[in-house]
Parts: sequence; structure tokens; C-alpha cells
Amino acid sequence: MSTPALRQRRSGLLSRWPGRNNEGYLAALLLLVVAVMSAAAPAFFSLHTFFSVIRGATVPWIFAMGVLLVLVSGGIDVSFPAIAVFSAYSAVALTTARGVDAGLLGNFALAMAIGCLLGLVNGILIARFRLPTLIVTLGTAGFFRGAMITFVGATYIAQLPRSLAEQSTRSVISVNTEAGTTFLHVLVVPVLILTVLIALGLKHTMFGRAAYAIGGDPEAARRVGIPVQRTQVVLYVLVGALAAFGGMVFMIQGQAADPQMLIGIELDTIAAVVLGGASIFGGRGSVLGTVLGVLLVQVINNSLVLVGVPTAWQRATVGLLLLLGVGAQAWAGRRPRRAAPAAVKAPAVKAAA
Amino acid sequence: MMNRIAEADGMRRGGAERRDVLTDFVRKIHVNRSVGQMAALLVAAFAIFTILRPAVFLGSYNLQVIALAAPEIGILAIAMMVTMLSGGIDLSVVSIANASAITISMTYTAVSSRAGVELANSLALPLVLLGLVVGVAAGAINGLLIAKVGITPILATLGTMQLFNGLELVVTGGRTLYGAPAGLSTLGTTTFLGVPAIFLILVVVAVAIGVLLDRISLGFRIRYQGANAEASRFSGISSTRTLLATYTIVGLLGGIAGVVFLSRNPSASADYGASYTLLVIVIAVLGGTNPYGGRATVLGVVLATLCLQVVASGFTAMRLSSQQYAMAQGVILIGAMVLDYLRGRGSSR
Repeated sequence: MSTPALRQRRSGLLSRWPGRNNEGYLAALLLLVVAVMSAAAPAFFSLHTFFSVIRGATVPWIFAMGVLLVLVSGGIDVSFPAIAVFSAYSAVALTTARGVDAGLLGNFALAMAIGCLLGLVNGILIARFRLPTLIVTLGTAGFFRGAMITFVGATYIAQLPRSLAEQSTRSVISVNTEAGTTFLHVLVVPVLILTVLIALGLKHTMFGRAAYAIGGDPEAARRVGIPVQRTQVVLYVLVGALAAFGGMVFMIQGQAADPQMLIGIELDTIAAVVLGGASIFGGRGSVLGTVLGVLLVQVINNSLVLVGVPTAWQRATVGLLLLLGVGAQAWAGRRPRRAAPAAVKAPAVKAAA
Repeated sequence: MMNRIAEADGMRRGGAERRDVLTDFVRKIHVNRSVGQMAALLVAAFAIFTILRPAVFLGSYNLQVIALAAPEIGILAIAMMVTMLSGGIDLSVVSIANASAITISMTYTAVSSRAGVELANSLALPLVLLGLVVGVAAGAINGLLIAKVGITPILATLGTMQLFNGLELVVTGGRTLYGAPAGLSTLGTTTFLGVPAIFLILVVVAVAIGVLLDRISLGFRIRYQGANAEASRFSGISSTRTLLATYTIVGLLGGIAGVVFLSRNPSASADYGASYTLLVIVIAVLGGTNPYGGRATVLGVVLATLCLQVVASGFTAMRLSSQQYAMAQGVILIGAMVLDYLRGRGSSR
């Protein structure tokens, strides 16, 4: 459980409901979906489903954290899948080609160092030349993927280094149920730690507050003395490292290094984060909301299968949900914005996680 | 005294007038520059590949490939450009094109299995119209969400992209559908004086949108909407109607692109052109479209489309991989943006 939730409880859950970014509605919707699905298919309400939802959500969860950081600072990043693949694949390809195993930490460190470098490229282009973030990351995404296939390699590596391969079956909790033993994967632990760190960092550090401030209004942030360029560069470096981490986890879960992996997930991830209440204009968004958004998408994907709805409906359902979510927000904010623009603007800047 | 004031006044007015002429001129150069830049880049790319691989690159086969591959991307890029001009974006335009292609293909197959192939083929024109209606309807949904409900374009179209694409997956079951009216396939192989007919569709679309943007009041309203939404609202322009019209027109363009998909290849699927969404954004921006709205030219976008196609086929002629082409794309895009920044530092955004 992350800090905002605890905060809310301390100051009275009801008085703060539904939360600054409508986390309450999202949590209620999540519970509603779980309740409806459990009623429709009793098999749904089980530890096994819970663990498999968490397992399926792990990689989107990590990417969503990176996307949240970028959205909060007022940008859009579509290059994180390319960075994830480049870093994770290169780390494994470079070590296996030399017949060495860098070990679990070594491999992760190598991948995340590469991720930092690629993030630095994004950060410098965005901060130094003030180019639109969507356009820059579109360009670098194509460049990174192309460069990896051209210079690093294009072969499918079916055998991961032993230190990574043995992680794919390691679990942190295993529970025996009548349906068989069910596992919670070990990689959930670092993801939870990262999530708490990001939540604390966004809320309680200068860097986190600066990210919100830049997303709210870069000019205002500059005038109160926030080093906008430096913050942006550091932010994109961080996001690069997060993407690399996500790529490694994806590779371990899939038990192979495929240079063609993670294609086309960028817009889906952004959709989940926006569903979680983050504003595409920056300055607004919370870790709790993002996690709820990712879990909601994952629960819907999992449960549709269980109640016999063809998997083909998943995408349409998520799209509809996104439209309903942002539509309700837009509709609610429509009239007051016309009447008194200042009254709406003010809380929007403050409305940080 | 009075004279002097009048004189000063006159001078001031003259100065203001001169400045207006000057800004106007600079603005013209600015637009022309990005078109000129694109034209120069196109000629340069063409020349480079001609010198490096004259036999392959100048072969009629290669030129045909360029002329056949460019239209669908060009039409989608023009659609993207129109939404960017209005200050928005349309991430759903490729899924709209697929919706049109899938509708035509499924209806054709249904008719031909029930009432015979001849009847189905004779219905080519109504089927095409049906596809265009689907495009217009999908575009109108975008327009309603953006103009009436008030959702930000990027979010509304992100949602409808998933919704349309999801429904297409449901309808097709994730499979590739085969079958299209014979007339469409004929269209895809017909040439006039060596120019493929579907390339002429691109030309017609480009001219029509060019006339719309430069000669018709709706075009100016779209431009003002993107340049300064607030000011355009205060001048009595209804942003609701402008945006509704913009996205409906873009839906129609998506529908046309779907027809072109089918004429090139009598098959349709929900996954066709998965990489097109980001590609057409690249092309629109390369073609001088200001992603913040208010500035764009059709000619620039068409030139950018051709330029990327020339580079793509040049890379193929050089036996370079599609991955190296992806790298080149990224370098061209960011290079062009950085150059723009270095030249026009602070002058315009």
C-alpha cells in the first residue's frame, strides 16, 4: 500500500473521497468488476486469479510508472518499449556473446545503464532543443529499434544466462490450494519497492515537486527557480532506467530475448495511466491511481476470458472504459471551466498525488 | 505642430504597414521554406539513390512501387495534418481506414456467397460508398467526443483507436479477410500514362484538401482554431462546429485510405498498417506541420510522403534493411526538428 492511501485513511477516508485524481472511483470500479466477475464465475474469486493478475500486470506496471513520470512533467513518451528492448536485449546479447554470465545484479545493472544512456538522448533533445516530446520520442523509438537490430543483433536468444533463467520460476509465496499450488512471482518484490520509492520521490523530494511544477507550467516553474532543463534530463534518464528494468522483467517472464518483443504497447500503456487519472497536459497524476489503472485493465483482460467472453473483446472494452473515464472528467469539468477559468486552474496545479 | 503630429502619425502608420508587409513576407518565406526544404530533400534523396544504384532505382518497377505505396500513407498523413492544423491529433485514423476496408470486404463476401459473385462485383460502387460512410461515421464519433463532450483530441482518439480496433478484432476474429470487389482490384492495377490510378486518388485528395484549407471558410476556421482557439472563439467562430467538421472530414479521408488499402491488396485485417499511426505523424511533422496547430501545407505533407517513400525504396535498392530505414526515419525527423529550432530560435513555435 502506498503513501497516499495511508494519508487518506488517517485524515478520514470519507472526507477525502474520491481522492484528488478520482482514485476512489477507480478503486470502486475495480471492486465492482471483481464482485460482478466473482458472481458470474465463482472460479474467479481465488488466490490463483489474484496471483496471475499480479503476474500479468508486473511489466505494464513498471512501464506505467515511467509513463506516469513523463506525463506528470507534461510530456508524452512513446520510446520506452524501444528503450526496454534495446537495453534488455543488448545486455543479454553482449554477455552471452562473450560466454560470460554477469549475474542477476550485473545483468540488471548493465541493462539499466544502457537504459539511462538512451534516456539521456531523449532528455537532451527535449530539454536542450525544446522539441515536442511526442515527436522526439517517436524519432528516437525508430532510431533505437533500428540501431539495435543493425548493430547489436537480430537473433532470437532462446537461452537466457543461467542467473536470469533461474529467476523465471522463483516465487516469493507459494500457496497450496485444492486446485493445486499457486505462486506469486519473485519479481513482484522489486516492483513494489520501486513503486513505493517513486511515490515517495514524487511527493516528498524537490525533484518530484519540480516534475509536477514543470508539468503544470514550465515558465512558472522556471521563474520560481526550478532548474527545468536539468530536471527534465534527469527525469528522462530515470524513465530510461525504468524502461530497461521493465524490459528485463519481460524477458525473464518470457524466458527468451526476442529483438521483436514489446512492439505496439506504448499507446496501451499510456491509456492505462490516463485511466488512472494522470493528466495528459501534465501536473496531475498519482502512483496509486496509475497502479489502479493498470490493475483494472489487467483484471478486465483476465476476467473476460473466465466468463467466456472472447479475448477479442478485451481491446474494445478497455477503449470504451477509457472513453467513459476521460469523457466523464471532461463533461464534469466543462461548465465550471467556462464560468470561472481561474477557479478550476488553481486546484489543478495543486492536485498532485 | 498639427502637421508634425499628422506626419508622425502617418510615419507610424506607414511603419506599421511596412512591418505588416514584412511579417507577411517572412511568414510566406517560412511556409515556403518548409515546402522548399522538403522539395530539396526529395530531390537530394532521389539524386543520391540514382547515383548509387541507377539500374535498380530508376527501373520502372521501383518507380511503380513508390507510386503504389505512397497513396495510402499520403492520404493518412494529410488526414493527420488536418487534425494537427486544428490543434489536435487523430490516433484512430488508421483504425478508421481498416474499419472501412473490413466493412467493404465483409459485405462483399456476404453478398457474393448469398447472391453470386457477379452481383457482388456489380455492387463495387455502393460498397465503396458504404466504406466511406463507415469512415465518416467513425470520424463523426471522434468529432462528437472532442467537440461536444470536450475530451482532449489525443485522449478521445486514443480511446476510439482502441475501441474501433477492438471491434474490428471482434468482427474479424483476428483473422485476415480475403475478398474485394473486382472493380477495386482493377483500380489498383490501372495506370494512366504510366501513373497508377491510386496515385491519382492521392493527387485528387491533396488538391481537394488544399482548396478546402486555402479557399473555403471552413479551412480558415480550422486554421484559426489551431492557431489560437481562444481568439477564434471570441471572433464568433463556433469551435464545436469547426472541430466536428474537422474530424468528420478526417474520418472520410480514413475511409478513402481504406478503399486504397483494398485496391492494392484484396484483403483486410484489424492489424493492417499497425506502424502507420506513428509513421504518418512523422510525415505530417516533416512536411512542415506545426504539431501545436495553426500551420501546415498540403504540398509539404505530400512531398514528405514521397521523400520517405523514395528513401524507403532507395534503402531497398541498396539492400539495406527496413531496420536501417527506421533509423534513417528517426534521424531525418529529429534532424529536421533540430534544424528548425536552430534557424528559427525564439521566432515561432
